[in-house]
Amino acid sequence: MTIDVLLFYAFATMAIGSALLLVSIRNTARALFLLFIVLFAMAGLYLFALADFIAITQILVYVGGVLILLIFAFMLSNKELLHDLQRVSHRFIMIPRWQALLLSAAFLSIMLYSFLSWSKSMPEWIETAQMNGTVISPADNNIQALGFRFMTQYVLPFEIISIFLMMALIGAAHISRKEQNA
Amino acid sequence: MADLIVHILVPIAIFTFIAAFTLFAVYAERKIAGFVQDRLGPMETGKFGLVQTIADILKLLQKEFITPSAADKILFSIAPVVIFGAVFVGFSVIPWAADFIPANTHTGLFFIMAVVSIDAIGILMAGWGSNNKYALLGAVRAIAQMVSYEIPVGLSLIAVVMITQTLNLNDIAYLQGIHAPESIYFMGFWDVTQIGGIFAWHIFQAPHLLVVYVIFFIASLAECNRAPFDIPEAESELIGGFHTEYGGIKFAFLFLAEYAMMFLVAILGVVLFLGAWNTPLPNIGSLRLADWTTGMGWGIAWTVIKSFTIVGIQMWIRWTLPRFRADQLMTLCWKVLIPLAFLCLAISGLWRIMVML
Repeated sequence: MTIDVLLFYAFATMAIGSALLLVSIRNTARALFLLFIVLFAMAGLYLFALADFIAITQILVYVGGVLILLIFAFMLSNKELLHDLQRVSHRFIMIPRWQALLLSAAFLSIMLYSFLSWSKSMPEWIETAQMNGTVISPADNNIQALGFRFMTQYVLPFEIISIFLMMALIGAAHISRKEQNA
Repeated sequence: MADLIVHILVPIAIFTFIAAFTLFAVYAERKIAGFVQDRLGPMETGKFGLVQTIADILKLLQKEFITPSAADKILFSIAPVVIFGAVFVGFSVIPWAADFIPANTHTGLFFIMAVVSIDAIGILMAGWGSNNKYALLGAVRAIAQMVSYEIPVGLSLIAVVMITQTLNLNDIAYLQGIHAPESIYFMGFWDVTQIGGIFAWHIFQAPHLLVVYVIFFIASLAECNRAPFDIPEAESELIGGFHTEYGGIKFAFLFLAEYAMMFLVAILGVVLFLGAWNTPLPNIGSLRLADWTTGMGWGIAWTVIKSFTIVGIQMWIRWTLPRFRADQLMTLCWKVLIPLAFLCLAISGLWRIMVML
């Protein structure tokens, strides 16, 4: 067992373990900080897929932005409201949760189906890519390739997303502005 | 196996350096404070008070672990580790000399931006975990400030990356001296590839980068919560801010993180704008000053000297300027620094297209 396999399993255990703890814990503040561990471990797993840009973006956007926003929202929300949310039944399986049961059963059956129909060998497209040499190595400059793609092949989706984010920003500024003549 | 040992030894070396730097910097800070306020500073312990900080750290290490009974114990004890870890990991992509860099990655600069934002989570963890009003208020102020000032820092970094066309800090350092892989121009007109020295630094390669560096410097002061942007730990209002409840070795770690952050932003500014490990002395005719003062030992020496100078300026500013009010702080960030940084970003793009090609 090499050290990177060991690291992979460490990150995977960390992600799954903290995610399980996150949904079962009572203390909302601790749950939010557990989300940080989940996101961080996921970023570590992205690194194993040679997606270093995605991994760093995950930390920058989700940990540095979204998670802080979540914690602020938690701190600013009403204590009584949070108390109501936490006061739920302790039984594991119950009728009001039929959607969750249905969803998890569906996911489990999909995973079982794909596992059983897996032929225990590399998919064909991976083998052809390895034969043609069209694979990336850890030392490749992925950022440059990404930048070229964004500015050539995917320039329209990229610009649409930019405008969409701009709209969200202006909308947020408009909503939060104090009305002058209300 | 040899690889693994190197991977363990390098962080230990960096940690030792940070710890030694912190001891030295705290002493320097007190002496500078003494000089600015026309007093002597520490004088009693050792010659000129030289061992004062060592005595302080010994005292901190022996102290009892005190956790407030109402605190969230897990968050309270993890927070210093997260805060220090976030800053410490940032050092892994900083070049000290030519090709002398712990991790030579193509995403270096982006990586630093990401790990430094983890620092904010640690501060929030400390503030919330302490279960103390002052600590929480200090943490909330710190986050508001850090999140706001990350924008001018990010924009100024983008402005310089547009000129360098790479996020690899090692390559960025190469582009500012006599070993540059492409020809470089002083202010866009004078070829200084062979001359090097101070003329080849980024701040002199394009005139607007000088403004960008000033923006970066001001915003990075706010990022590490230093005066005049230290409202998160304003003693007169908040006791000690987010680390009010901390003592002993946990407080030592928070202190270490603060000084490590100061050094990290100083060395980052040096790498991006002030020529990294390149010498400030140019080649003048047959007087090959730049050739003579370039090399591994010289590189490390120049990086450290430049970074210490920047840290010294940070301390000088801390003891000279009064603290900003919260609204003045936000006005400076959103109404002055960000528009100016956007303007410089646009100039960077034009400069790259019109002048450099």
